Amino acid sequence: MGWKIIKTIGSGLGLTVYTATASAAWEVNLTPGVTDVSRSVFDLHMTIFWICVAIALVVFGVMFWSIFHHRKSRGAKAHHFHENTMVEVIWTIIPIIILVAMAVPATATLVQMYDTSEAELDVQITGYQWKWRYDYLDHELNFFSNLSTPRDQISNEADKQEHYLLEVDRHLVLPVETKIRFLLTSNDVIHSWWVPALAVKKDAIPGFINEAWTVINEPGIYRGQCAELCGKDHGFMPVVIEAVSKDDFNQWLADARVAEQAEAAAAERVWTLDELMQQGEQVYLRACAACHLPNGAGVPGAFPALKGSAVALGDVAAHIDIVLNGKSGTAMQAFRDQLSATELAAVITYERNAWGNSLGEAVSPAQIARLLTPSTGEAEQ
Amino acid sequence: MSDKPTLWQTLLSVLSGFFGVQSERNRERDFRNGRPLYYILTGLLMAGLFVVGVILLVRWALSLAGV
Ligand code: HEC
Ligand SMILES: [Cu+2]
Repeated sequence: MGWKIIKTIGSGLGLTVYTATASAAWEVNLTPGVTDVSRSVFDLHMTIFWICVAIALVVFGVMFWSIFHHRKSRGAKAHHFHENTMVEVIWTIIPIIILVAMAVPATATLVQMYDTSEAELDVQITGYQWKWRYDYLDHELNFFSNLSTPRDQISNEADKQEHYLLEVDRHLVLPVETKIRFLLTSNDVIHSWWVPALAVKKDAIPGFINEAWTVINEPGIYRGQCAELCGKDHGFMPVVIEAVSKDDFNQWLADARVAEQAEAAAAERVWTLDELMQQGEQVYLRACAACHLPNGAGVPGAFPALKGSAVALGDVAAHIDIVLNGKSGTAMQAFRDQLSATELAAVITYERNAWGNSLGEAVSPAQIARLLTPSTGEAEQ
Repeated sequence: MSDKPTLWQTLLSVLSGFFGVQSERNRERDFRNGRPLYYILTGLLMAGLFVVGVILLVRWALSLAGV
């Protein structure tokens, strides 16, 4: 009889091992990731998991064996006794030993995670409702990273693609084998920057700077999400990291600078109304439609309609002002740092001429560029 | 009155409170002859020592890690 039970427990153990291997294939388990830290987090997770399995087997094994072995039909008589100090001490000490045994490796990993010293690259990450801004502090480069999943997939009018809600217009490009320090903060509410493959998850809190770090071992694309409920589009501000070789990273930095100069040059030339409308629609769908809706109708009580709005049809200066500087205390952000002069001119032109708004006039990129420059100068002093 | 818990016994009782296990014999002795104030004071003192102990433990762990 006892032998049979051992066999049952044994096959139970076998089954657990089997499902654990299978679950790795279904990707329901934690990922081992691509950094040394994520690897040790994964190992910790598995160690503790197996300790829990072993405890469960022992405890339930003894319990079921006792129930079975001392069943009434075999004439077992309950033994009445009250308290046994020795037994109680033993079952208190054993968990303490197990907990301490788990705490030792866990502490080592935690200490490692918090050691942000000697970083070779600093990236400031700022949460916005609902996008991330990346500042390469040593390279005077910054940009916003917006969700790029097309609206029609979100509203179920088109089939969802593989990286649905996990794709952005500009990746956070990072070099491999480089210690990178992340400085996290927020512009509005609390967000949390989370990339499972790096085992980095850190809150981005307005007015505070949190630190995290990583050394990515393998080139590749790693995706993550905001992990702190931050409002309406919390699920629409993914993180996409593109890890590349050091050489490719330097090349990318150089290209990004050239592109910035080209942008500035583009703002100087004359744009036609049609060109601005075309680009404006793209910018609008990417940066504004989340609140004001693709058809400009807004959400009554929360986000005003731009179709027929007094501002969009009124004085140009006031319209430009609210888009560039936002309205403090509301969800309407300042877009002066988020969009280029051309994009700003295009989106304002678009708002003044789309959905039945038809002023027929264009706001020129050069006009916006002049408005943007003085304040940038101030900020740099 | 003569079997009033000694300082040592009070201390052990408080420690078994921290640990979570106490024998019935000691519990009865404490409740029959002990004065609550002594246990409360010893408890506060031990809680203070516990906090200091945790701080020292963390310092030690950090120094091992070279922080
Ligand atoms: C996060 C939500 C959000 C986003 C994104 C957003 N807005 Fe707004 N917008 C608002 C809110 C809220 C107001 C109302 C502010 C107030 O209380 O006056 C507003 C007001 C405006 C107004 C004034 C409308 C009126 O009739 O008062 C304009 C113009 C405007 N937004 C343009 C834009 C443009 C252009 C973009 C994209 C570049 C944009 N908004 C993106 C939330 C948003
Ligand atoms: Cu968020």
